[in-house]
Amino acid sequence: MRAFVRALGRSSLDVAALVGAMGVLLGQILARLVRLDFDTDEVWSNLYEMGVRSLPIVVVTALFTGGIMVVQSAPTVERFGVHGLLGWGAGFGTLREVGPLLTALMISGRVGANNTAELGTMMVTEQLDALRALAIDPLAFLVVPRFVGIVLTLFLSTIFADVLALIGAAFAGVPLLGVDPAVFYDGLTGGLIGIGDVMHGLVKSVVFGIVMALSSCEFGITTRGGAPGVGRAVNSTVVVSAAGIFVLDYLVSFAVR
Amino acid sequence: MSSSPPHHDGSLDEMLGLGATPSTRSLARLRAVVADATDLVALARSSIRCALRGEPRAGAIAGQMYEIGNRSAAFLCVAMSFIGMIFVYQAGVQIRRVIPDVSQLGATYLELLVRDLAASLSALLLATRVGAGIAAEIGSMVVTEQVDALRMCAADPVDYLVRPRLVACLVMTTVLTVIAGCAAYLSGMWTAQAFFSINPRTFADPTLLDAGDVVVGLAKCLAYGMAIPIMSAHAGLGARGGSAGVGRATTRAVVSSSLAIIALDFLISAAGYLVF
Repeated sequence: MRAFVRALGRSSLDVAALVGAMGVLLGQILARLVRLDFDTDEVWSNLYEMGVRSLPIVVVTALFTGGIMVVQSAPTVERFGVHGLLGWGAGFGTLREVGPLLTALMISGRVGANNTAELGTMMVTEQLDALRALAIDPLAFLVVPRFVGIVLTLFLSTIFADVLALIGAAFAGVPLLGVDPAVFYDGLTGGLIGIGDVMHGLVKSVVFGIVMALSSCEFGITTRGGAPGVGRAVNSTVVVSAAGIFVLDYLVSFAVR
Repeated sequence: MSSSPPHHDGSLDEMLGLGATPSTRSLARLRAVVADATDLVALARSSIRCALRGEPRAGAIAGQMYEIGNRSAAFLCVAMSFIGMIFVYQAGVQIRRVIPDVSQLGATYLELLVRDLAASLSALLLATRVGAGIAAEIGSMVVTEQVDALRMCAADPVDYLVRPRLVACLVMTTVLTVIAGCAAYLSGMWTAQAFFSINPRTFADPTLLDAGDVVVGLAKCLAYGMAIPIMSAHAGLGARGGSAGVGRATTRAVVSSSLAIIALDFLISAAGYLVF
């Protein structure tokens, strides 16, 4: 029993220390962003690496997501015979919840993990110390461009994924329920879904991007202990990003109406 | 890719490997994709065959079950209870825009949870945690030539490394889905009472649940339980080039298992809808 309480206390202290460290890192990043003290070339190359090269995954995920939303609303639509509302049902879920969430999980797996592995490898081979010895601020040169890259990538990918998921849903409705894409479009734009729902999802994507970028950079620049340490850092990043995404999803859902 | 001059026409075709004017590069990429897929199918076949025939090595399987199951349980339960709260809240808001009656919320939520949410979301979370772990372990064994050492000892790496993980993942995905699904249901019930004042007795309404939903849900558990270890082991066995290669293999494992889960979700859901 005492061992259990001790373990519980230790893990809550660990969580508090992690959240604190991420907060401090966010403060340092924002200070450099406001002063425009970061490497612009690195931002562009990170945007290409993270954003452009994730496009195939985002496209495939979004098209299937649209299909899944239609399949899941199909029994309800059949039960009440409201084929005209399919666009609304699939659109509401996609725009507010599923689009940002699934895109964030996919980008977290591809970009967040990769970012930690890169930063962690640089850390254990003392490349960050080398930068400091050359009087180059590693935060401005490495971390801020990655932060900007991840947040922008997730925001833009979510817009892209929302559109593609709705297209996927419109065409999945034809063979499964016999709903014409035009009827789907009418349901979508019938006034039940407003710009507020789209913004709700986009606010979420920015919040997810920030938590993902912070956790992957934080674990990257605190990596210790050679190659196995890099592996552990990658694993913690993926788990913390996923947990952070779900917890913040909950908070944002209530905070933003 | 970055060393080549920018290509203005047909970049999407190039990405898919089917250019209108087939250049050698896109052909090579297509060939690589086909070879990769053939590899994957071969690995899937041999690991399933091993799982069915090989002698039982209870110790290795139990160790993997602990690694995959027990150590993911808390993470999954926390994440899925948040999911439960979010979905019930969002669904309640959505329903109240159209009809003021939210009494059907619990029944619909239970149906959706059993048929899709519990299995698919748990599997997506497991893919990040378990898939990354499997690929990192097997990948570092490959780059440190431990897998070649196994082959030298006439031990089949698939039988020795992949089979325990496949069996353990198959069992544990199902078990964890049930546990995490219960967590999501209870947190959803709490949300329904707190925000829409739905009595838990009204919420716990199994009338919409039928055998088809349970069959589809369990089929998903089994499919994901096979897809995660096979995709991740494939990524791990393909690791090349030191610790950077292990990092790439880990990323590939997470991405390809998540994509496999989403694709299987769509296929099984559509099949289930057409059958039942």
